[in-house]
Amino acid sequence: MPLPYLTKEFGMETEQVSSMLDLGTTKSYKIPVEHLDYSFIEKCTDVRHLEKILVVLRSGEEGIYPALTEFCEKKIESLDPRSRALRKEKPPATAASFSSDEWREIMCDLKSWSKEINQRETELKHQSVLDNSENVPPVRGSNVFVPSKQNKINKGKTSKNKVVPREYSEWDKFDVEKECAKVEGCNKEKSSPGLINHGLPKIKRKIDTTGLTDKEKNIIANREKDKGNEFFNAKDYEDAVVYYTRSISVIPSVAAYNNRAQAEIKLQHWNNAFNDCEKVLELEPNNMKALLRRATVYKHLGKVKEAADDLKKVLQAEPENVMAKKLLHETEGNKDMQSKKQPKGKRILIQEVEDLDDETETESCLLVGGESAAEKGEMGNAQRKFTGRGDGGPQTEEKSPSTAKKAQTKRGSSEKGSYQGAKEQGQVNEFQRNESYAGDQTSPSSSGTDSSRPDVPVDSGALPPDIARLKSQGNELFKSGQFSEALLKYTQAISDFTEAEIDSPGDLSILYSNRAACFLKDGNCSDCIQDSTRALELQPFSVKPLLRRAMAYESLERYRQAYVDYKTVLQIDSGVQSANDSVNRITRLLIDQDGHNWREKLPDIPAVPLSAQQNRWEGTSANYEQTQQKTKGSGGSKPVQDTGKKTEALFLSHKQEGNDFVKKGQYKDALGKYTECLKLKSSECAIYTNRALCNLKLNQYEEAKQDCDSALQLEPSNMKAFYRRAMAHKGLQNYAYCMDDLKEVLRLDPKVAEAEKELQEAAELFSKQSVAPDSQEKQRKKIQIQEVNDSDEEETENTRDKSDGKEVNRHVGTGDNQINHCGSENMFPLQPTNAYEFGQALNAVKSKEDIAACAKLLCSVEPENLPSLMSNKLEVDSFTIIIQALDNHLLQKDPTLVYRHLVHLHEAERFKMVSLLLGKTEKEQVKQLFDHLSTVESVQFTSDDIQNLAKHYLF
Amino acid sequence: MSTPLEKPQIISHIQKGLNYTIFDSKWIPCSAKFVCMGNFARGTGVIQVYEVQHGEVQLIKEIEKAKPFKCGTFGATSLQQRHLATGDFGGNLNIWNLEAPEIPVYSVKAHTEIVNTIDGVGGLGIGDGAPEIVTGSRDGTVKVWDPRQRHTPVANMEPIEGETKRDCWTVAFGNACNDQDRCICAGYDNGDIKLFDLRNMSVRWETNIKNGVCCVEFDRKDINMNKLVATSLEGKFHVFDMRTQHPTKGFASVSEKAHKSTVWQARHLPQNRDIFMTAGGAGSLHLWKYEYPAQRSKKDADEIEMGVAGSASLLQNVTLSTQPIASLDWSPDKQGLCVCSAFDQTVRVLIVTKLNRV
Repeated sequence: MPLPYLTKEFGMETEQVSSMLDLGTTKSYKIPVEHLDYSFIEKCTDVRHLEKILVVLRSGEEGIYPALTEFCEKKIESLDPRSRALRKEKPPATAASFSSDEWREIMCDLKSWSKEINQRETELKHQSVLDNSENVPPVRGSNVFVPSKQNKINKGKTSKNKVVPREYSEWDKFDVEKECAKVEGCNKEKSSPGLINHGLPKIKRKIDTTGLTDKEKNIIANREKDKGNEFFNAKDYEDAVVYYTRSISVIPSVAAYNNRAQAEIKLQHWNNAFNDCEKVLELEPNNMKALLRRATVYKHLGKVKEAADDLKKVLQAEPENVMAKKLLHETEGNKDMQSKKQPKGKRILIQEVEDLDDETETESCLLVGGESAAEKGEMGNAQRKFTGRGDGGPQTEEKSPSTAKKAQTKRGSSEKGSYQGAKEQGQVNEFQRNESYAGDQTSPSSSGTDSSRPDVPVDSGALPPDIARLKSQGNELFKSGQFSEALLKYTQAISDFTEAEIDSPGDLSILYSNRAACFLKDGNCSDCIQDSTRALELQPFSVKPLLRRAMAYESLERYRQAYVDYKTVLQIDSGVQSANDSVNRITRLLIDQDGHNWREKLPDIPAVPLSAQQNRWEGTSANYEQTQQKTKGSGGSKPVQDTGKKTEALFLSHKQEGNDFVKKGQYKDALGKYTECLKLKSSECAIYTNRALCNLKLNQYEEAKQDCDSALQLEPSNMKAFYRRAMAHKGLQNYAYCMDDLKEVLRLDPKVAEAEKELQEAAELFSKQSVAPDSQEKQRKKIQIQEVNDSDEEETENTRDKSDGKEVNRHVGTGDNQINHCGSENMFPLQPTNAYEFGQALNAVKSKEDIAACAKLLCSVEPENLPSLMSNKLEVDSFTIIIQALDNHLLQKDPTLVYRHLVHLHEAERFKMVSLLLGKTEKEQVKQLFDHLSTVESVQFTSDDIQNLAKHYLF
Repeated sequence: MSTPLEKPQIISHIQKGLNYTIFDSKWIPCSAKFVCMGNFARGTGVIQVYEVQHGEVQLIKEIEKAKPFKCGTFGATSLQQRHLATGDFGGNLNIWNLEAPEIPVYSVKAHTEIVNTIDGVGGLGIGDGAPEIVTGSRDGTVKVWDPRQRHTPVANMEPIEGETKRDCWTVAFGNACNDQDRCICAGYDNGDIKLFDLRNMSVRWETNIKNGVCCVEFDRKDINMNKLVATSLEGKFHVFDMRTQHPTKGFASVSEKAHKSTVWQARHLPQNRDIFMTAGGAGSLHLWKYEYPAQRSKKDADEIEMGVAGSASLLQNVTLSTQPIASLDWSPDKQGLCVCSAFDQTVRVLIVTKLNRV
């Protein structure tokens, strides 16, 4: 606004003119009356004078001229829109001052806010009151007198300084140099006591947010970001960076990173700016501002191509982006210049700080003339240097030596240097964050993988002895928990290694990986990430460095990167339990953080080449036990015996479950369980035989055969295995083999009746097969297997053929879980609980006319239940066999039971029908039974009772 | 910068007539409620809690106490507790739990005369370090209190023996950017402004603006001192650039004649430190924006750094009442929402629009 200054001279003129024409003046200000005129006001450019005229006109002392007053106001406004004379008392705005849309928006906004804030308040009230009194500094002192006069204080200043004694914690932070500088500063103050308040060294770059809820953290992060914006607007870029950093330390947000990038650009900290842009792009790959800013950085670093790429990306998304166009134009200009080796540095800055609440700002571009002049030469030189070097690494920055070193890292020319560089870089980037999380690391290492241990490579033969020694020392130290000492050893080993120029990336990778473990243990997550990354560069897709890096990322709350690393680990080896757990945990966190579209914000998960996966699997099978430990999550970091125990327990439980499934007839499930058992322990013969049983049951004869083979390898004289293999062969219709196996069984134990029977049958079938190979279908046996033994117990196998010889019932009794298994003829479910089971059992007995078995069956059921068990299935033959069983087997043992059975039997549904159909011999048998019964003396029943009962049976 | 249409507008959203003289009003942090403190005609003190609901205010709670309340602050309380610290006509400092206001959670006879002014820091996540309350009184002293210490102040700034005691009208915390640093600025009826450094327990700077200082406020309490606004009795306000302190000239400042009468209050927008509102004696409100100069410091003839003041530009002004507006408070949670109270016994909720586009 240059106008007010120019008008000064004019003002002088007008006054002179007015004094010359003397036509009378106004009462106040003594303005010549003719000045209250359109033509004069039109011409006058003296704002002060016009303001006076306006006051006179408004006062009405020379008459009221509304039009002239307005004209005067307009004139003043055109000359100086901020003139005080224009300030009028205004009523507050009302709905009428806005368009209806605006008004509605304002009111809706307020309404939704009050709703939201009420909700937040209720949440706040329900929170438990946290006592962070530990974080709060102690009470300042008591009743310290401060005289409110300055000069008096200066005299007694030294004594006053001691009013607040230094706290112990303060001494920790005591910086001798700073204090010296302060003392010097005091001395200087006399000569040049100008005091600039620079808060930078005083402000913490990290905010302690322990015990705060997410909401509170959000509030704080936003507030710090706002402060950063304010500093940015006030051109205090350094402070702005500090406050953005504080905001990021609470909750890392895209906006804060983006703004910090802008501030760093302003400070010409290209590397920091670059890193921030990268972070934004990691979080939001299509963030236009970040792309633009990165382009700016690239441009200044001389990476013209990358800059152009970024700008083209921006223009693709927003073809109208003026800023990008301009920059691109510049960049391309630069490119040409560069090719002509006449680089011209021009500073272009994207000047705008974004606000989370308001994304509608426009990009603006500024040329900062003052700075750029000084910079031009430097930039030019730098770029020339580049073209000389050829690959255009980011070495332009003389201010940051780390850049150069980083460039070296990429080239890998000097590994030690690169490490240092990388480390410095890390410190620069992470300076405020890494310490913070060291304390409250949610120790993913304790969740139990061996990744928290240093890898002890199998073959360290390639290493020179001194390095190998350093490494083993490091390993020892690590194991004993002295992580920082181990760290030193590894570092030494790495530097020796690189000096020796050994070409063995695998070993170097392990060293880096081990050192990463040390860093992780020390809570130095950023360095851990650096080292893991190095290790991975040397040896891609190795699990341990990946896991370590993932944990470090997780500790730094960079969940997306952690997620990606864990996922990669799982691609390589899906059995790493800690990775599985972490992925689940992080998924939850990311969903909380990013909502349902969290996946979209993820960086790409690298596809693991098959070779890496296979390698892993081979390793797995070679060392089965070890992998199993991992799979079970039983904690590789725990002592091995412990792991063994756990595995054992798990094994047993699986086995038990398997057995239970078999008992319930769920052979498929049982099969699964046994398979799991075998994964844990492949040397248990009984599991193989049991699984064979399941396979037989499921008609998977081939598998059954294989299982039996395995079992026989372990135990060459396992009878069960032979028997089951025989069954399998039978199923496969290899009757010759079947007979061989059965013979083997009989050789081992000649008393096995089933084997004998099977042998006969097989022989028959074998001969039949040779005669009529087409009749296979009919000859296929259905093998029914009903029980499984507990492999620890001695088992008894009872197999009987059904009368037609086509069904095999096998009862494998266990020693402890059955009540009445003593005989060899229990082919029915014991204690049948329903009519079906009873019916089946009875049929089985009937078919074999096994009276003894029938007696057993009758023993096992309660006489009261007999009619219901019998249901409507009572037939003459079953009736007969029951009578026979009662007469022949039970009468001597337990006449009471016989009596009771008879009492209840006649209540059965079809009893009357059956009794009518009884033939002579049957009636004879019944009569015989009653005769026998009546001879028995008992307290339970009298002979009269028997007479009565007999009437029912014999009419 | 902004076209007339884009100018912030000040809307008088809600007006509420009261039956007592209101001296101070403050938003309760993290809520849509505010408290009003004042003086019943019968000579007792009153605290009322109002809630903004559907375009009107609902009285939630009324607390009556023996002494009229002059001032209050939430600055030293935690967000969870939200205890109100008040200064009353009897010279007492009380801290109230508004949920259970029967007895104060902290009470001390702070001054011998009326507590004119109060400010707090270290609570609500604003300002590092211990929670502290400062009170200024007619008895001429400025005292700093720690709610954890009963009975005695942690620091006491008073004129030395023989010096005339000036009425302290206003106090403000600032420079609380870390655990140790903290400043208090106090304004007195004779135009004195004193800056106390609590780290060194000394007066760091003092000046006189010739007229009684009605209000001082740092643009933010929890950053390295940046700006200070002081308003005065005759209708001016001064903005001091607190970055660069010259040994003799002190801090650079710009002054602006804002109102036709006393400027009672100046309050910075919590969301943007460069915007502030002044409340005047004739019931007017002026919204200002401070614009920084190109260079904030320069070398004087003796090569000593000195500050350069920027300028204040008026964004909007309205007249709400014929009576002085005695208190003004921006909502810490909602940008543009503020409450002000005038001596016409009315409390008003205002909405200032388009602040994010300034």
